[in-house]
Amino acid sequence: MKLHVDTVTTSYLQNISFRVENENVVILGSNGAGKTTLSKIIVGLEENTNVYYEGEKISSLGAKRRCEIVNFVPSKLEVFDDYLDVEEFLQLSLLNGSTLREMDTILKQLEIEHLKSSPCKCISSGESQLVLFASGLLHNAELTIFDEPTANLDSDKKIKVYEALKKYAGWKIVITHDLNIAYKLGYRIIYLEHGKLIFDGSSDVFFTAANLERLFGNSIKRLEDYFMVNYR
Amino acid sequence: MKLLIFLISLIVLSIAPFIGETPLEIGKLFDPNAMEYLLFWDLRVPRVLVAFFSGAILALGGMVFQAVFRNSLTTPFTLGVSSGATLATAIGIVFLPASLAALSYLFSFAGAFSTILLLFLFARTLSATQTNSLLLIGIALSFFYSAALMVVYYLSDLEQSYSIIRFTMGSLNIVGFKSLYPVIAAALILLAVVSSYKKELKLILTSHENAFLKGIEIKKINLILLLFVSLSVGVCVSVVGPIGFIGLVIPHIIRLVYKQSSEKLILSVFYYGGIFLVLCDLIGRNLGAVSEVPIGVVTSFIGGPFFIYIILRRKRHHG
Repeated sequence: MKLHVDTVTTSYLQNISFRVENENVVILGSNGAGKTTLSKIIVGLEENTNVYYEGEKISSLGAKRRCEIVNFVPSKLEVFDDYLDVEEFLQLSLLNGSTLREMDTILKQLEIEHLKSSPCKCISSGESQLVLFASGLLHNAELTIFDEPTANLDSDKKIKVYEALKKYAGWKIVITHDLNIAYKLGYRIIYLEHGKLIFDGSSDVFFTAANLERLFGNSIKRLEDYFMVNYR
Repeated sequence: MKLLIFLISLIVLSIAPFIGETPLEIGKLFDPNAMEYLLFWDLRVPRVLVAFFSGAILALGGMVFQAVFRNSLTTPFTLGVSSGATLATAIGIVFLPASLAALSYLFSFAGAFSTILLLFLFARTLSATQTNSLLLIGIALSFFYSAALMVVYYLSDLEQSYSIIRFTMGSLNIVGFKSLYPVIAAALILLAVVSSYKKELKLILTSHENAFLKGIEIKKINLILLLFVSLSVGVCVSVVGPIGFIGLVIPHIIRLVYKQSSEKLILSVFYYGGIFLVLCDLIGRNLGAVSEVPIGVVTSFIGGPFFIYIILRRKRHHG
């Protein structure tokens, strides 16, 4: 897997460049830093000609090929139809070799089998996040971008998603605000702020005291291997 | 409930050609010399068929537009297709010599078709996710056409403006099968095209982003669906005039009765759209007035209140 983001510039993002080769990445950044915009550019949802996958421009790939290569799992489930249920929604993601059986296994693992026949419009935000996460696993693209997969979840579900992420074999980019998950995943970290790439390096370097202080000031407090919001 | 509705629909369909101002003697229907034969085969049967297939086009077209534009209030009519046809017909009525009156049919189709071409020209400059902008352009076009129609009214004489008004109210008065064939063909083609994109339609019913990510040429498919809907509506309007409300009401009612996602309801929406217009026509023809009530008036009178009732009931169910 070779992804090359080559000086992507939009009305918000400024000269974002990085290469990813056979590794997983965590993208961190404050609210409105441009993380989601960057992801949408990578998967082709927003047109940009400066992203390459294995040397090929993503923007010029055919729809079929693109869906084998990249996928983006948004943080909010969006369904227009009032009656489309969770099972039908997930079946649409049975791509790249996924089977109905795998779907049932994943649903069981995330403890959402009981939602199968619920209309997508009638489930809670946490539940819909799990459904989206499941759809990302099923889609099984070579590279999947998960946008804040744990944002609306209770701690038990956060652990389940974390474990599933760890286990998932495809390449992944995880966007999150949660330093604890980023730390536990241990992937290379890209940090964005106001549309600019501020940090790009290993997890070890990112979580040094000096770097945390540079990026977060004193709003984050480290207690052993945990990161707390330092409410004053 | 579903079975009951289906049985009622069959009854409506089978009795529709027999009920009318002039009672028919069943025995004479197959006697080519009888007046009944002419009345039944040249007027009543084509009329029921044109009502059925027009209603089917309008209902299915409404459902597809609602999915593509992600707006439950969208129908081909909101995009100005019918206003385009109406304007062109009015121009035909006023400016064509009386000897060429038959050509007004072509004018109407040209009006609908050129509106579609115009919309597609605009659509090409919009990106896949900007379907709302196209909707706004359609609304703007409708207003523009209405204004132009006023100018045509102003230029017309009394008789001509009466013809224009009658056309805008819609009419299922057709004679013989000749003008029926294009409507049937358009309806069946639309049904075939929409059915063949069932899976894509299902993805569109989630979100355009999701459809894009799951490997669908979303922009292309949206355009194909819109093109076929617009074309068949163009054919339909040119024959029966602009008949409102079906595209809005029928998909909603069918969804509420069946409680399934729309892509499974293609055939039901098609069928009941047809039945609804046949029923409205049946009522319009038999109200006992001196002349029949225009079909557009009937659909709005029945559809409007019923639609409001359904929406209010739904609100209560959802708490």
